[in-house]
Amino acid sequence: MLTDPISRLVRNAAHAGIAGVDEGRYDLRRLALAAIDVVVGQMGFAREATLDDVLDALARLCARMHPDAPHEWPLVAQTVLKGLLNDANDGRRFTYRFADLSDPETARWEPYSFRLLSLRDTEFGPVLVASDQAITLFLHGLDVDLEDADRALAHVLQRQLEDRRFDAAARTAAQAERTSVGLSATLAELLDATRRDVTSTDWVADLPERLTRARKHVEERIAEDDRFLEHVQHGLDTEVSPEVRAVSGQIVDLLTRAKQVHLDLEKRLVGAREVFLAAQVRQRIARRRRLRMLNLGQDVLAPVLELPVEQALAVTEPFADRALGVTVPRLPRFDDLIEALWAAPRAPEPEAPPEEAELPEDAEDPQGYPPEVVEAARDVLARVDDGETALSDLLAADLPDEVAELVALSALWAFAPDPGDDDTAGSDVGFLAAGLVAVPTGEVITDGPFRGPDLLLTRPMPEPVPLQEDAE
Amino acid sequence: MTAVAADLTDVRAAAELLQFGLSRRVRPVEGSEYRKLLDRYRDELRFKDVVDTMAEGLGLEVLGTPRAGIVLAPEPGGPFATRLGDLRAMDQHEKLIFGLVLVGIAAYAYPNDVDFDDPETRLVEVTAIEEFLRTAVAKADLSEAEERARAAAELYADLPALVLTSTGRRARGCTLRAIEEVLAWLVSQGAAREATSLGPDTFHLTDHFRLLVADSAGTTALDALRAVRRETAAEAS
Repeated sequence: MLTDPISRLVRNAAHAGIAGVDEGRYDLRRLALAAIDVVVGQMGFAREATLDDVLDALARLCARMHPDAPHEWPLVAQTVLKGLLNDANDGRRFTYRFADLSDPETARWEPYSFRLLSLRDTEFGPVLVASDQAITLFLHGLDVDLEDADRALAHVLQRQLEDRRFDAAARTAAQAERTSVGLSATLAELLDATRRDVTSTDWVADLPERLTRARKHVEERIAEDDRFLEHVQHGLDTEVSPEVRAVSGQIVDLLTRAKQVHLDLEKRLVGAREVFLAAQVRQRIARRRRLRMLNLGQDVLAPVLELPVEQALAVTEPFADRALGVTVPRLPRFDDLIEALWAAPRAPEPEAPPEEAELPEDAEDPQGYPPEVVEAARDVLARVDDGETALSDLLAADLPDEVAELVALSALWAFAPDPGDDDTAGSDVGFLAAGLVAVPTGEVITDGPFRGPDLLLTRPMPEPVPLQEDAE
Repeated sequence: MTAVAADLTDVRAAAELLQFGLSRRVRPVEGSEYRKLLDRYRDELRFKDVVDTMAEGLGLEVLGTPRAGIVLAPEPGGPFATRLGDLRAMDQHEKLIFGLVLVGIAAYAYPNDVDFDDPETRLVEVTAIEEFLRTAVAKADLSEAEERARAAAELYADLPALVLTSTGRRARGCTLRAIEEVLAWLVSQGAAREATSLGPDTFHLTDHFRLLVADSAGTTALDALRAVRRETAAEAS
């Protein structure tokens, strides 16, 4: 089942219109495995394989398969990679149905979906990662526990070295390296999955156990790597046959790389618990520089014009950034942008007929008092000019309601004018209260329509204004 | 939120992380300051709170921290929010098509809710998006959709897929050019990348775009197009 996507890739490639493919000049299966090989080989290291890494590697292999058609190499490489990404089905998972025969009477059909390669967005741009299924393919379909495979291969390698079967030992060492890389890649994927979603892996039982086993395994392997290296090195020092020396050198290289993989794996294992704990906890502007005065034409423009584009950009962009002042980076928000794009266009407002507002005939204050009332109130308040008079005395006369109200309000305004109330200050009340002084008498008005402390009203004579003395 | 005093060095570091997030050129490569701050955001709850609080004050929201870097989204009307004036000058029809293509790309790439949690980047091709949109505007039930969405769909159906300029390039006024322009805009926003090694019209939709669409409350039009995408995918398999 795991190899079917590659068969499908080969079938689909026949429709790609590439002459070399139609003529069978490219081993597409070998290229597919090589692509997985490159991807798995980079997993677990600081930088995974980019699209270009894989396409370049495939193009080089294509060149060896069909040296006369360089224009076809990138096309074949694209075809293979797109096939592994299931591009024909929009990058969806490969899905197969298989018959589960665990029940002796019936067959139960179950879907099985998997990817071989997938693209991830990273700090290096898009990179490729291999699924467990791809890693299994990479290991030549060995459906084995990677740790067991690594240990078994180490044992075989030891025997071959002891028996001085160096050719076989070189092959085994290569296989051992691949197994270690596979183990490292699997662990890298598990830790990445944990960073994304802590619940995606079983950190209660399964993973701690796997980590413990893996740590023990790696510690053993690092010790054995050293022992093997010493053993082969010893053989290199004593062996005189050039062929054996060459193979031994190969084995030393392979073992050195395998040891590096094991050391890298150990580093990951040591930090694995921290990754889990951190993931568990989680799942819940440029310094001003003074531009010195420049002769822009002579010091900037002329030298920049002589530079290649890339180097010129390094000068012009920072210069433009500063010269143009502060620019706020604008970020999109999906819904808001769609709403703005789809907002109904602003229609011009229809011209409305001028409103026929009913304006008062004159500037009569609707809150004001008729002139006769004001005149009557002034007459009442004129009594104050003759001497101190209580408000209650003024109101005791049988006054019309409006006149009594205006007298009372004027007295109150004289007692406590509102400095912020310019409207009242210019009104009838303000006019009548001008020059009046009101102080409480201590008595209380209880009769008539007004209630409250009585006020003693006086109109003090204005003090003579002293003559201004001449300035000295 | 309870009042908790924040260390000033943390505040500075939080501001620096937001600065990195606002810059589309910086990448959190191993060993860089950006990477260290990104790891702190992921691992230290207290630092995350400082960053989130500072972002909120600036009118920003942290949508996620995928490997490619912190993804920020603006509060509507905030100083960082994209305005129509930030896009190229467009007439009413062009705005309708721009919006529809944007919705179409989102529906094409993420037909199922589960897709929003899948870190795998999507490869899209201009021609594939065009084919999908042409099918979608014909099949989608937009009766419940926004009036402007229906207008956009009708307009899209009327437009030719391809009109060539005298130099053989796609001319304005055809849908392929509109899709090309939206994808180019997404590239400028860090929401897509050109994948020229896989073909001239091929683009990767980044985690940034995935998080932007996932953050969306969704429109009736988006839902309708996603339904068509699911149907076409089911028919194909």
